[in-house]
Amino acid sequence: MVITPIHYIVVPLLAAFAIPLLVKIHKELPRIIPGLVMFYNIIISIVLMQQVNEFGYVSEVIAGWKAPWGINLIITPFSGFLVSLISFMGFVIWLYQYRFKKVIDVGELKSYGILQMMMITGAIGIIITGDIFNMFVFLEIVAITAISLTSFYRHRDGAEAGFKYLLIGGFSSTLILLAILLLYTQVGTLNMAEISERMHLVPQGMKATILVLFIIGFGIEAEMFPLNGWAPDAYSQAPGPTSAAFAGIVVKAGVYGLIRIIFTLFDIEGAFDFLIIAGLVTMIIAEFSALKQTNLKRMLAYSSIGQMGLVMIAFGIGTKAAVFAALFLMFNHAVIKSLLFMSGSILMYNSKDKTISTLSGMGKKLPFISLLFSLGAFAIVGLPPFSGFWSKLYVLTAAANQEMILLIGAILAVSIVEIVYYFRVVSKMYFAEETEHIAIFKPSINAKIAMGILGAIILIIGLYPDLITGYLHNAADMILDKASYIDFVLNSNAPVQ
Amino acid sequence: MQQEFHEIFVKYHEIITLGVYGTAIGLMLIGLYAVLMKKNLVKIVIGLSIMDAGLHLLFIGIGYVQGGTAPIFSPGYEDAGDRMVDPVPQALVLTAIVIGFAVTAVALSLIIRLYKHHHTAKIDQIKSLKW
Repeated sequence: MVITPIHYIVVPLLAAFAIPLLVKIHKELPRIIPGLVMFYNIIISIVLMQQVNEFGYVSEVIAGWKAPWGINLIITPFSGFLVSLISFMGFVIWLYQYRFKKVIDVGELKSYGILQMMMITGAIGIIITGDIFNMFVFLEIVAITAISLTSFYRHRDGAEAGFKYLLIGGFSSTLILLAILLLYTQVGTLNMAEISERMHLVPQGMKATILVLFIIGFGIEAEMFPLNGWAPDAYSQAPGPTSAAFAGIVVKAGVYGLIRIIFTLFDIEGAFDFLIIAGLVTMIIAEFSALKQTNLKRMLAYSSIGQMGLVMIAFGIGTKAAVFAALFLMFNHAVIKSLLFMSGSILMYNSKDKTISTLSGMGKKLPFISLLFSLGAFAIVGLPPFSGFWSKLYVLTAAANQEMILLIGAILAVSIVEIVYYFRVVSKMYFAEETEHIAIFKPSINAKIAMGILGAIILIIGLYPDLITGYLHNAADMILDKASYIDFVLNSNAPVQ
Repeated sequence: MQQEFHEIFVKYHEIITLGVYGTAIGLMLIGLYAVLMKKNLVKIVIGLSIMDAGLHLLFIGIGYVQGGTAPIFSPGYEDAGDRMVDPVPQALVLTAIVIGFAVTAVALSLIIRLYKHHHTAKIDQIKSLKW
């Protein structure tokens, strides 16, 4: 059997809709099937990344209609990197959530498996498709499944968080649709490579209007200020593994959409400055909001928004070094923030009212989990020798090369805020007096393995960053090289049909 | 009868086009008003749907070609290549309608759950989370 990019979409979708039937055979199946599918996704990623290294890209034509007319899937070093990251995170999150609850509620498990696999399909679809309307459809799949997962638990305020997400999401999808319509009237095509080729024909004012509509639309998934009102509520009300999936999967797809549209489709000078300003505002507001949170998951959510602001700043600087740093940051954010959400939600299960002040003494009660949480906290604020240090260093050097002194000052100042609120939690866990005795919810062994894997990655990448910088450099080259993307799509004599 | 209709259409073409665009944009504004100003959750969702409907109408209106035929080569229409109605916006609208349906369904089910939990559908009385 030849592995092609379409497997990314077909296999999880098929499995998602097969779960209601398979559950009749054995009630353990809805737990195991997602894991098998995620593992297959990793195999696809490995095979396709080898082909990308060999040929430069992999593209697939769907239903025999060639690129400008039909929908095509294309995997470049950039999208391949993100897709591999998402596949890997999907598998680790499955490992974490397998037997997350001891009690089996088959109906709940079934719908959780379906929604989660569809969310991952949608996120991968956004990244590998070459057609702008197809991208919109996948974005809507991600939004609807993310809303459903947010409101998954009946006893929490999930429905409220979900409704808030839905209002913002529904509004943004209308704007994206309007942007696609305006773009179609101007260039007469939906294929992203062809749009990019014909973009110079569009008048400047029209171009700016369309770009603003797109940025608002995708800014919501990418947690850009002021469109991120949904994020803290959704993160804090969603089940623990879903919060990790938001940080590791959904946000990555949203940022991809933003970057693909700004870098490949449009060539407006001001767009990059806009990214820097939007990122800066997002980062500063989010980090200061994180400082005054008492709920741990809300604090992590605001910190996640702040990190995405930093990613936007790095993309906005726009040089090759900066884009490379932004990709490194995205990788780190996926790994570290997922680890923080995973260990954080276990800590939350064991605290009385989910606030930071009830975490005292956790360092003794749950030594392994507390250790991993501290590791994640040290890594995300950028202490050496963890992986977060390198990405922050690369962002700062990229900014220094462009002589953006104010920007460097802002990033460093915000880092101090970050250190304050993360260290407050860590010191509470280790150095505060133990206040109350409550029944301890012990995490399962596979959850520990999943968190151990992420912790090991943080350490290994921190000590040997060269392991992934090669891939990241290729990806950064690809983002900035618009001409070869167009060439891949339109003149492809595809190595894999 | 058909001939008459066609003549009327050609005569008032510009007004009709303007009417379609105006209706579409008007619907979108009505929907936006409902989303922003109404306090009832159900009315907000109705507003979202109206906004979508306006956008769909705009799609169809833009794809229309005056005096156009269906985009199929059939006997008697061999030379219709340059006066066919653009089929792409119609295909997009079909997809968008399905997506809108799904969003509305999710929204209504969330409203049911919110109503069971809070015993009200007023948005300003539901504030367990900070809005």
